Amino acid sequence: MATFRYILRDTWRLLSRHWGLSVLTLLTSVAVFFLVGASVLFVLNTRYLVATVEGDLMVQAYVRNTPEALESVARKASTYDSVSSVRIVTSDEALERLRARLGKQAEAVTLLDENPLPPSVEVRVKRAAFASVIARELISMPEVEDVVYAGAIAERLERISSFVSRLSLVILAVSMASASLVLFNTIRISVYARKEEIGTMLLVGATRNFVVFPYVLQGVILGTAGALLSALLLWFSYGAALDALERSLPFVSLITDTRVILRLGVVLVSAGVTVGWICSWLAASRFIRLASRSL
Amino acid sequence: MEIRFAGVTKQFSPDIVALQDLFLTIAKGEFVYLVGPTGSGKTTLLRLVTREVLPTKGQVTVGDINIRKIASYDLAYLRRDIGVVFQDFRLLPHLTVYENVAFVQEAIGVPPTDVQKRTNDVLDRLGLWRRRFLYPEQISGGEQQRVAIGRAIANSPSILLADEPTGNLDIHTAEEIMQLLLSINASGTTVMVATHNQYIVDAYRQRVIELRKGRMVRDDKKGRYEVDGDL
Ligand SMILES: Nc1ncnc2c1ncn2[C@@H]1O[C@H](COP(=O)(O)OP(=O)(O)O)[C@@H](O)[C@H]1O
Ligand SMILES: [Mg+2]
Repeated sequence: MATFRYILRDTWRLLSRHWGLSVLTLLTSVAVFFLVGASVLFVLNTRYLVATVEGDLMVQAYVRNTPEALESVARKASTYDSVSSVRIVTSDEALERLRARLGKQAEAVTLLDENPLPPSVEVRVKRAAFASVIARELISMPEVEDVVYAGAIAERLERISSFVSRLSLVILAVSMASASLVLFNTIRISVYARKEEIGTMLLVGATRNFVVFPYVLQGVILGTAGALLSALLLWFSYGAALDALERSLPFVSLITDTRVILRLGVVLVSAGVTVGWICSWLAASRFIRLASRSL
Repeated sequence: MEIRFAGVTKQFSPDIVALQDLFLTIAKGEFVYLVGPTGSGKTTLLRLVTREVLPTKGQVTVGDINIRKIASYDLAYLRRDIGVVFQDFRLLPHLTVYENVAFVQEAIGVPPTDVQKRTNDVLDRLGLWRRRFLYPEQISGGEQQRVAIGRAIANSPSILLADEPTGNLDIHTAEEIMQLLLSINASGTTVMVATHNQYIVDAYRQRVIELRKGRMVRDDKKGRYEVDGDL
């Protein structure tokens, strides 16, 4: 236990003696982890938006007007894995919808004796990318006369979604790599600044672990504190961004579930601990192994 | 712990042979002076005991441990039992006088109150009490030397290796240090002192081992700094 206290004290000494370096490293890791968090939020929101729009995306098949034909198209459509729901819309229903949408103006339609709207089969797909495939399948069925779907929108959504995912993977990789590099370098500098001392400590009987631990803790503390601060910063700035967006673009709905943001914070801090630990361990232990070699 | 050199040769490079064919046994509790001109291998001999240097040929054993075969963890434990006063002191520059003397005990995990008691004791004995809060660069060479000795003895080691421990001291302080080393030896610690101090060696007669160009040329039971008449 005493050993643990000595190690903590030595860690504090390392942090405070090179305080300029410590502050610099802390700021860098705040910036980098903020970037990581922000890009994750960006991806999550894009996914969320795409999913919202995708949920409304459907393929409408107009079918020869017999109950059997409608039934059979609906049955065949529902066998596809990429289809989330299938629904038969009768002429009456179609008229109801039109009324609901147009209000009074719909009366012009009802003036006609006969309902001019054809029945259809509405197919919802799970992902935007499936829409064109399903549309092609439907049109090839003999009962189907025509297919209508928002093909261009579907394709664009799909492209945006996959582009954002790829872009943010790159941002994520780059920023994690820079966080690692910065922490690794800081620890290496502080190890090198004390190489004589480390040699002496080993010579008078300190174990490698006793010597290495303050450096590792130094890295863990800097990494963790950086991630923690960036999570706080992210929390407040995301809140502010949501407020601003709600005022200027009220129809865009973003993730407001605080649990999602909290979970992201937890992930960031764990990443800070892990990166801090691994990098400082690599930076310090290799050197200390070298320093403990006999001539 | 007995220290034994069996046919030890240390070669730093093809043309630098620091020690050659050394056979030497130092019994537990002995006091030994190592003498010889600069470059004769005194420091290398001491560094072999702590495994700072590995022998090129032959075996060094400390107690029943073959220095070549020791695991790194065990080495740390062995070193705790060997106090070393380095020729260039090697004080930890970022630690105060007090912290330097306390360091080995802390590395071992001695509880703070015990460390405090022991460290204050040692500082008092070495006349460093009033210097305890200063850093190595703020004190004189002689004081630094005493801090180095303090660190070496703070852990009550079984073996004490001192590389020219009186090098920077006036004759009065040198005698005090000698008294200290002798009293540590009297309590059972094996002491090896590499020295150029003829006055001390002749005043406090002990076993004398003389090296020349890496070879042991003399091993006298109660020797003098120089033999009467040339070799
Ligand atoms: N690390 C080293 N690398 C190369 N040569 C060394 C090294 N250490 C000591 N020597 C050489 O070994 C010889 C013995 O040195 P040393 O043991 O320091 O002698 P002393 O302590 O008696 O002055 C000298 O010639 C010295 O130059
Ligand atoms: Mg020497």
